[in-house]
Amino acid sequence: MHGWVGNILKVDLSGGDVKTDAIEPYVDKYIGGRGLGVRLIYENFVPGTDPFDPANPLIFNTGPLTGTALPGSGRVDVTALSPMSRLRAKSNFGAYWGPELKFSGFDHLMITGKADKPVYLWINDGKVEIRDASNIWGKDTFETQKAIQAELGDPEIKVVCIGPAGERLVRFACLITETGDAAGRTGMGAVMGSKNLKAIAVRGSGTVSIADPQAFLEISIAINNEIRQHPAYQELSQWGVARGVHMMYQMGFFPVGYFEDVCWDEILEKYAAPDYVQKHQVKNTGCFCCPNRCMNFLSVPGIGKGVTSCEPFSGFTGAVWNLDMDTFWEATLLVNKLGMDCTETSASIGLLMELYHDKIITEKETDGIPMERGSKDAILETIKKIAGREGFGDLLAESQMVFAEKIGPEAVEKVDIVKGLAPHAYEFRSFKGTGLMQAVGHRGDPLPLRGSLLEVDWHHANDWFQQVATEQYGAPEAAIPTSYVGKAMSAVVSEHMERVADNFGVCKWLYGLFIYNDVNMICKVFNTATGKDWGIEEILKVSERVRNLERMFDVRQGLRRKDDSLPKKFFEQPLEKGPYTGEVLDREKFEQMKDEYYEIRGWDKSSGIPTPEKLAELDLADVSSG
Amino acid sequence: MTFKTLIIDAEKCSGCRSCESYCALKHEWACNPAKGRIHVVKWEQEGIFVPVNCMRCEDPACEAACPKGATFRNFITNAMSVDHGSCIGCMSCVFACPFGATYVDQETGKILKCDLCDGDPTCVKVCPTGALTFEEVSAEVCRKLVGNADKIPALVRQAVGEEG
Repeated sequence: MHGWVGNILKVDLSGGDVKTDAIEPYVDKYIGGRGLGVRLIYENFVPGTDPFDPANPLIFNTGPLTGTALPGSGRVDVTALSPMSRLRAKSNFGAYWGPELKFSGFDHLMITGKADKPVYLWINDGKVEIRDASNIWGKDTFETQKAIQAELGDPEIKVVCIGPAGERLVRFACLITETGDAAGRTGMGAVMGSKNLKAIAVRGSGTVSIADPQAFLEISIAINNEIRQHPAYQELSQWGVARGVHMMYQMGFFPVGYFEDVCWDEILEKYAAPDYVQKHQVKNTGCFCCPNRCMNFLSVPGIGKGVTSCEPFSGFTGAVWNLDMDTFWEATLLVNKLGMDCTETSASIGLLMELYHDKIITEKETDGIPMERGSKDAILETIKKIAGREGFGDLLAESQMVFAEKIGPEAVEKVDIVKGLAPHAYEFRSFKGTGLMQAVGHRGDPLPLRGSLLEVDWHHANDWFQQVATEQYGAPEAAIPTSYVGKAMSAVVSEHMERVADNFGVCKWLYGLFIYNDVNMICKVFNTATGKDWGIEEILKVSERVRNLERMFDVRQGLRRKDDSLPKKFFEQPLEKGPYTGEVLDREKFEQMKDEYYEIRGWDKSSGIPTPEKLAELDLADVSSG
Repeated sequence: MTFKTLIIDAEKCSGCRSCESYCALKHEWACNPAKGRIHVVKWEQEGIFVPVNCMRCEDPACEAACPKGATFRNFITNAMSVDHGSCIGCMSCVFACPFGATYVDQETGKILKCDLCDGDPTCVKVCPTGALTFEEVSAEVCRKLVGNADKIPALVRQAVGEEG
């Protein structure tokens, strides 16, 4: 095969069995990456299995373009049953591990079972070994990678691992590779920990074959050069998102605190991330073959070195009322070393601060630590307590809701979660399409969906982006944040475009931002690499099939229309400040957007379940909700 | 006669390995950085990355070590070349290179030596940071080369924790 290396590696940690299946029967219907991963979990997960049961399969999915000489080809999708939502988990990480998995001969890796004692997996050019990890159990994610490279005697081994949080089954523990590339969301670190699996080390010297290498080289150089000409590249490759975050606060797209406020005057005046980056940045770094290098590598004396990108810049600043950048950096390094999702962690701290501020809790409920807004102690101690499952941290490690239930109904009222997870911290009251995408989304990921990005971009050039919206989604209003018009279509189209990158195994941020509006280029890259002769309709058909199969997995877990919602705060408390003062989600219009979304999707409006006709049309007749 | 040479400024390298990957695609027509004629040595926890490529020495150890005279200079590009017809695969050149910049294909035993893509290096076209440039040799470029040669050992010492 070209593009794909052809193999699914299956490892059972209980019996130590290792086997390899062929990928070929799947690729025409699911391509690879996220899409093929969805099929694998649909087939291999037995309904009724607990997330921490050894039978819960943990699956790593690269795509046909992962590991190729192409910008952004370093991505891996991870899935399992999420210990947070009990729906299909979805997380994705970059850096260098995914390409190495392909060079060692595998496109997908499925892990089931549970080892008797701590182990790590060593995949070396097709050979698989389950090795003792008792001497690295307890180490942080940075130490773990170094220890494994030292033990195996090769510093070029790529390791993805869990930290102490994953070992202790913190439900939002994540996977880490290098110093901050994370499969952050939906608790993949906890699933790995439940299998007594500390790490997966990979080394490969094999080849990803390309069907038409000459044409592929040509187009790939052109994409590399085109990205480097883009204005967004000038910003991201030098600053990452450090400066962009201030713009998001100004625009009122990022809320402050636990969705309590927008346009906090102090953060607008004193947001110090750009200065901090300028002072401490060694350089920007990124993933395999990516010119964009959107991560800031910082070295701060007395705190430490590592990379960071998107989430911590708002999660450990505005979301927890913090303006001290040393605290931001200490918190960021802590969650990365302990192996915890930054988004869920900062939301959990935000909840504590809101409860404290509203006098629903005092320091008695948080082991004597006052949860003052922006308090350094509150931020750092809460992180340590969650990772260590100590005191109140043990409750938060289960979920925000478990903590709130312990406090009482007043606290439960305050919890803002969507499908078991902290929603992305975007202001859904004013950005209606973004709100819809969060509510109906498979995991709820408005950005980098094109339609959500359009609501942000619109601020820079209203007319131009309204024209883009008309061309792409059939209505100029699709670009206007406060409008409910055209948002369902923009959600559907964006979801399909997002899955193209995810199925190919490339970065959806990179391609969403720079390239993938060019459908000819999508087809050319895919066809020259794989030797297929597909048009855009076939590529997008797979995206639609994948979206529907994801939905059916979740329907089988009990998900229905009512779960496609947002916390009531967004419908009941209008914004009091900022450019969107007075905005709030109108319940009726919101439900109408959902109706429209289900209608375009061919899903039953009352239940939110894909109709049998839709499933048959997508060759998914074998899939049922039972 | 003037000629151009490949200059490496390791301080700018982001470690993305585009150079390795595109090099292998260009020369071996497949995606496999292990078959690249340039290699990035990485200390990712320190943020230090050093691309290693043929230095086209004035008195090349690879040429001197070759028992068959298979390694020679291409005077058009100034690159060191390998005549695969007379190469016996003894790897003397690989071990003789003081920079570790002569590579070997682990699968076939073929020597992989940078040929500067006949004067139009692919790695330079895709290097996003300016860590790799291809410049005409001049007094200024010579100063740059010497400066970079001084920087690399310092970076390596820093990466392994010997000095700040």
